[in-house]
Amino acid sequence: MAATVVITNERSGDLVFMDEAGETSDVHKLCGRPRGMVQHQAAGTVFIACSDDGKVVEFEISNKRIKREFTDLPGAMSLALHKSSNRLVISNEGYAKATVIDTNSGAVLANLSTGREPDGVMVTEDGSLIFVASENSGLVHVFDGNTYAPLTRLITNLRPRRMAIRDKELWVSSEMGSRVEIFSTDTFDKIDEIVFAPRGFRSEQLTPVDIIFDASQQTGFVALGSANHVVIVDAVERKIEKYILVGRRPWGLGLTQDGSRLFVLNGLSDDVTIIDVAKRRPIRTSRTGLVPHSVEIVH
Amino acid sequence: MHSRIWFLLLLFFSTPVLSTSFEVTVITSPAEDAFNDGKSFAGITVDPQRPVRRAIELALFESSTLFETVGINASIRELELDTEADLQEQLQSISMPGFAILDLPLPVMERVAQLADELKISVFNVRHSEMHLRESLCLAHLFHAIPSDRMYFDALGQFLIHRGWRKVLVVQGPSSEDKQRALSLVESLEKFGATVVDIRTFSLSHHPDDRDENKPEFLTGGVSYDVVAVVDSQKDYGRYLQYSTRIARPVVGDVGLTPRSWHFSLERYGAPQLNERYRTFKTGELLGAQVAMTDAEFAAWSAVKMVSNSINSRQGGTELDLNSLLRDPASQVDLYKGTRGSIRQWNNQLRQPILLATADAVVALAPMPKFLHPKHYVDTLGLDEPESKCRLN
Repeated sequence: MAATVVITNERSGDLVFMDEAGETSDVHKLCGRPRGMVQHQAAGTVFIACSDDGKVVEFEISNKRIKREFTDLPGAMSLALHKSSNRLVISNEGYAKATVIDTNSGAVLANLSTGREPDGVMVTEDGSLIFVASENSGLVHVFDGNTYAPLTRLITNLRPRRMAIRDKELWVSSEMGSRVEIFSTDTFDKIDEIVFAPRGFRSEQLTPVDIIFDASQQTGFVALGSANHVVIVDAVERKIEKYILVGRRPWGLGLTQDGSRLFVLNGLSDDVTIIDVAKRRPIRTSRTGLVPHSVEIVH
Repeated sequence: MHSRIWFLLLLFFSTPVLSTSFEVTVITSPAEDAFNDGKSFAGITVDPQRPVRRAIELALFESSTLFETVGINASIRELELDTEADLQEQLQSISMPGFAILDLPLPVMERVAQLADELKISVFNVRHSEMHLRESLCLAHLFHAIPSDRMYFDALGQFLIHRGWRKVLVVQGPSSEDKQRALSLVESLEKFGATVVDIRTFSLSHHPDDRDENKPEFLTGGVSYDVVAVVDSQKDYGRYLQYSTRIARPVVGDVGLTPRSWHFSLERYGAPQLNERYRTFKTGELLGAQVAMTDAEFAAWSAVKMVSNSINSRQGGTELDLNSLLRDPASQVDLYKGTRGSIRQWNNQLRQPILLATADAVVALAPMPKFLHPKHYVDTLGLDEPESKCRLN
């Protein structure tokens, strides 16, 4: 089956559907300020945080309808799904907490106290650790994924936003620190950092947000916000491979299953840049809704 | 799994138990006419001024999780000065390493800043944009979180050039303060290539003989211009110029489109979250929807956040040496304006973007596009290192 690209648009409150070539097939009005989105592959659905409505919806891709709603989640922003237990972690921006819900029963399993302005959430593949990044506090709170007990806090550079895990490494983007910091998920020590400083830019213009890895975890992609570029990183060597010019203020990233196409959401130009990963070149820019936030590529 | 438990125990016991204290002193003075209370004629409030304490409390509230994590005990203390008594003695009550926010009228602030400099207490100017504080006074322990007049006016100058409004009619008030600020405005306009077609001084008199100075149509007549730039610190007259100029032109400066460091309607860079927090952070105190931090309050908030954000980026600290911390080129603060702020090494000014805003919208954020600086993104705003007389570095 051909893949479907789903994009949440926070200002227009809708979903845009397109194919991997960037051809839009449908626009679906959804809810108030849809932002974070995560795929539930086994069910053919995506979970979407509707921030202004204080809810998370589970949306069926095949017949384009809301299957279920999880309400009473004020300020729901970013989402992470632990696949084998179907638990969903939701950051509640503005409420200094994250909520864990069991998506099978809808029950709230835990309310985790975080720093101010929690954004990025991440769960290890074995479900043993939950990470929540707080933009304002400059901290990543670490919780036990089974007991939900707070374990420790990682001190980050300015404005930690999103996270990604490869191997035993937690990568954290520091939006105002112009870098990605790498922590060990075993010892929680900071191992390394990658500072973005392409030629001809002032350091302050580099404001990294989304980070993703390809399936092999050899290559990382980071959206650089105000710099209007996305960067390809050799994740093993922690070296910058290439900066690619995209639209205005890229934040959200998505990669096709085969790793051949990178979708970059440009929040201020209301479009998506599609990048040919092998050639490291943008091949097409397609219109999205207003202020695109997250992208998932559903197969 | 065992190794992880062991590790966590180790982490628990090795967490810094020694707690460093960080006391923020807010220095105020009791005089009722301490600073312009924002009232114009007939008791109409046009430019509300509030004590900055609430903004400091917000900054400490925001920093609490981090302070707890790195082992810092933060507190706030208010020092209300008796300006008739010995100031030095009163300042000596501040515990070291001293860190104080000066919520004071200009003459008292200047005296306090000089004494604090001798006592090596790091103090923040959060109210006064006057150039001489950054130029001739130039003290190693005096920091300026509020932008300077030149930073504000440079932002305005860049905006006018960006819009192609190059011919500017300057209207100033009769006070010496207004004349001083108008000089800064003209320097800013000319620096970026605008032409000042005339400088005119308004009068509050209603006498028919003074109509060239008091009637907007006459005051702004007889010359061609793209825009009127007003300097009116007291907000007495300037606000009546909009929609009353001889020819239909926009009004900018102290009225109309105004350069500011903060605004309730900034909708990007996380600013809505900060505004929302300011409105609601103390139980039972919900301010109106359009109430946001004033520039002075934002400056006080920035000063405290500068400390917490810099400790943060330095991975914690054992003993606080605040002056070195603030002056360290690596220190930084997240200002919710899209670009981090830091201290200019030569004059202790907090560098930051400037908003150009109307009453209900942020129209632009300076530096404007194509105004580039060789070293620092926002250093096209305000006196740059080679231009400044102050040499603290």
